Amino acid sequence: MKKIHILGIIVIAVAIGVIFTSLQSSASYSDFVEASANPDTEYHVVGKLNKTVPVQYDPKINADECSFVMLDNKGVEKRVVLHKSVPQDFQKSEQIVLIGKMQGEEFHANEILMKCPSKYNDGKPQV
Amino acid sequence: MSNYGEHLWVGQIGNGFVILSLIAAVLSAVGYYFYSKEVLTSEWKRFANVAFSIHSISIIGIAATIFFMLFNHYYEYSYVYQHSNNEMPMQYIMSCFWEGQEGSFLLWAFWNVVLGNILRRTIDAKWEAPTMAIFALVQVFIASMLLGIFIGDYKLGTNPFLLLRENPDFANMPFLSIPGFPTKIDGRGLNPLLMNYWMTIHPPTLFLGFSSTLVPFVFAIAGLWKRDFTTWQKPALTWTFFSIMILGTGILMGGAWAYEALSFGGFWAWDPVENSSLVPWLVMVGAGHVMIINKNKGGSLFMTHLMAIASFLLVLYSTFLTRSGILGNSSVHAFTDLGMQGQLVVYVLTFVLICVVLLIHDKLIRVSYLMVSFMMLFLGIVIGYKIILLLTWLGISFVITIYSYMKFFPKEEEEESLYSREFWMFVGSLVFLLASLVITYFTSIPVLNKLFSLEKAPIKVADYNLWMVPFAIVALVLVAVTQFFKYQKTDPKRFIKHITWSGVFAVIFGLSAVIPLYFLKEYSLAKSIDKWNLISYAILFISALFAVFCNLDYWMRTLKGKTRHAGASIAHIGFALILLGALISTSKKQTISQNTSQKNVASLGENFSAKKSLVLTKGDTLPMGNYLVTYKGKEHKGIDVFFHMDYFTKDKYGKLVKAFELSPMVQDNPRMGQASNPDTKHFLGSDIYTHITYADLSDNRAVKKDAYKEPTNFVGHMHDTIFADNAIILIDSITTNLTEEQYSKNDSLLVVTAVLKATDINGTVYRATPKYILKNNTVLPDEFELNELGLKFIFWKINPQEGSIEIQMSEKVNNTREFVVLEAYMFPFINVLWLGCLVMIIGTVVAIMERRRKNRTQLG
Repeated sequence: MKKIHILGIIVIAVAIGVIFTSLQSSASYSDFVEASANPDTEYHVVGKLNKTVPVQYDPKINADECSFVMLDNKGVEKRVVLHKSVPQDFQKSEQIVLIGKMQGEEFHANEILMKCPSKYNDGKPQV
Repeated sequence: MSNYGEHLWVGQIGNGFVILSLIAAVLSAVGYYFYSKEVLTSEWKRFANVAFSIHSISIIGIAATIFFMLFNHYYEYSYVYQHSNNEMPMQYIMSCFWEGQEGSFLLWAFWNVVLGNILRRTIDAKWEAPTMAIFALVQVFIASMLLGIFIGDYKLGTNPFLLLRENPDFANMPFLSIPGFPTKIDGRGLNPLLMNYWMTIHPPTLFLGFSSTLVPFVFAIAGLWKRDFTTWQKPALTWTFFSIMILGTGILMGGAWAYEALSFGGFWAWDPVENSSLVPWLVMVGAGHVMIINKNKGGSLFMTHLMAIASFLLVLYSTFLTRSGILGNSSVHAFTDLGMQGQLVVYVLTFVLICVVLLIHDKLIRVSYLMVSFMMLFLGIVIGYKIILLLTWLGISFVITIYSYMKFFPKEEEEESLYSREFWMFVGSLVFLLASLVITYFTSIPVLNKLFSLEKAPIKVADYNLWMVPFAIVALVLVAVTQFFKYQKTDPKRFIKHITWSGVFAVIFGLSAVIPLYFLKEYSLAKSIDKWNLISYAILFISALFAVFCNLDYWMRTLKGKTRHAGASIAHIGFALILLGALISTSKKQTISQNTSQKNVASLGENFSAKKSLVLTKGDTLPMGNYLVTYKGKEHKGIDVFFHMDYFTKDKYGKLVKAFELSPMVQDNPRMGQASNPDTKHFLGSDIYTHITYADLSDNRAVKKDAYKEPTNFVGHMHDTIFADNAIILIDSITTNLTEEQYSKNDSLLVVTAVLKATDINGTVYRATPKYILKNNTVLPDEFELNELGLKFIFWKINPQEGSIEIQMSEKVNNTREFVVLEAYMFPFINVLWLGCLVMIIGTVVAIMERRRKNRTQLG
């Protein structure tokens, strides 16, 4: 066997390893129902902020925590505790992705991604 | 001028250039194709060159027209309206130009034109026609992206000269029917995050980098086409290293911008947009190194072609990723879908097709492959896009590539020695290729989701780091030792002797740095996975030092300190320093702002326990890292709100001395929303980075300080506490003037007094006694004003069932002291990273200059 073949085998082994582990370990996009069923697993939940319920954030009590209600893509509403300060322009967000776990009736998120119409994209103008 | 005062002639000129640029590119590609068939027929050469010149002038014309529109604020054009406004400083007009997709495609086309003209004038006659034919073909594709015309229902490209009233997003805006509206309205303005000096130089550099990957690509394709696998490599080598330098610089500028202007707290976040510029660079570095092998020793033909081609294809692929909207939720940077997804896929696949076709050196197979491809394309058009078709086609193309490689590609007879430079350089290139494939795979998860209907979430930053550290270690060790091998054969003993000292020093210095950094405190506290991380950091640290020492040694001893020849060694030192700086500043990044909350959320897992924010009230001084910080107040400058912070240190007598001032900013842009802009104090050894996460942006200078704010209602029991901004209030007792018995008999007057004890921040206790007065079943409002604290109480309700009382409290405006919530980090030794960038760029420039000098002397 030539050295080049050994290299080839190593390359293929790494490739298989990458695909296998990433499929195993990476979380899935999901919804509140699935997250409730597996409270120990981390999920990415996509949904919309319920803007009729006020966002609670009192930095004097805890600057790293805010709480709000989110409607997931299946229409299920849950209270969310985000362990971060309240994101900028939160009220203007169109869609949010939360990363976290379900705890009882609350979803505890440690990371949030927001899509705002105004920041990077050219959304429809507000007429 | 139209009825509405629109300057229609500008758009007509612009569109004229768009169409001319496309036609000229097509003619030029055709011309170069026929010229390549017969190098001696000079008519085709003239024709093609003239066409390419016309194309170049048209591209410059399009850009000039857009600038003209931006300068004159012609808001009747959608592009001007969307990306600029009146109050924007002129220095950002460049940023407006490339903020949109159309402008950035144009920037790309512009650099291609510049490089194409240089290439055309400097290249050997033999290679001019085939390389320029491919070059012009690429320009056809890019020029078509600016068309914006409809073919049936399908929109081809997106036009920068679209009128506002033609843009379906804005067409029904009411002001469009006002005569002379273009002078009466204001544009929507530039994204505030892009108003940064890095944003005026990062995009053009990055796009020049993207453009520069095209040159090695056209050379490699021309090599396949003319079945001359070797002679293109020498002229292409300079271009390849030029590309490595420019693309690398562009990426690092992006990192610097992210660090200076964005608030994620770092310079690299493995965002898909960042990855899609890093991946072509990694492949280009690999390509450059296999080309050096080929030049010095021959061989590695397949790899040189594969990597030179792959780098440009990956640029196209990343254009598809970032411009098609497919990234969706996984990236904040991604442009929205402008309906070009299909078009971009077609472009990427077309170039794959061309590569595979050229690889096949058998007429029958080539024709059948082409037939199959067109049949599948036809099928796709007729029955609609099907995943299975795409996958089948990619599978066939892959199999044919492997087959052609086995069958038609020249291969080396003898095997490389284990003690040869070429072998280890080859391994190094392979490591870069593999790393780029891993990153591409991770970044492509949204694409895989779409192809296979999966719901996988994007890979996390920590996982990227975990995967890339081993690659970095292997790359660094190879960077360290490979140059001590000679081509063909090396004496192992001499080799060991060469690297011994560097190895010994790296281990000694490395361990003495790594042990206090990673093992004294953290190791015992860490969980098993983190222990593994810390060990890998330590190995990376030592490998980086090893690479630095080896290259210094090679430069000083083997090359006798001659800088002119040491381009490679210098660049390698830079590369090692970049990784070293990234490692230390990321792994030892310290959150110096700390939450004061007592609430423990650690039960939710490690990620939740991070306390990052600090609440800083105006006038207070709080400890933060080695400093004490005071928030002095905010300052409004237009729509920018600056928050001034003083950082103090203690001198040797324990007295506070002001060390520096930081003014992180939040822009409150009425059209774009809020954007937080951090402020960083740079020291030689570390950076202090501060940014505002929450603040009241309202300009309250005009509000009367003595007025009371809106009252708040509290429902409470005995011994409950009420929080005011300047005091804590305890419901101490409730007394009444009557006994219960008396009250039930007598209906005259009931007075219930709530005794409140308000403790202010100095610990002084004040008494407040609001009264609940009930006369003939009517509550008489009674206000109790506590003047010392600027508080007002109304005791207005008793709920006998719950045993609770309700009190309204109003606070004076100036009771509430302004506060901000901020995050602050300390990045240690981040300057090692920036120094490394500089060193790597200088090294690459030295190598390019040396290569050019050698080429010239060889010619002369």
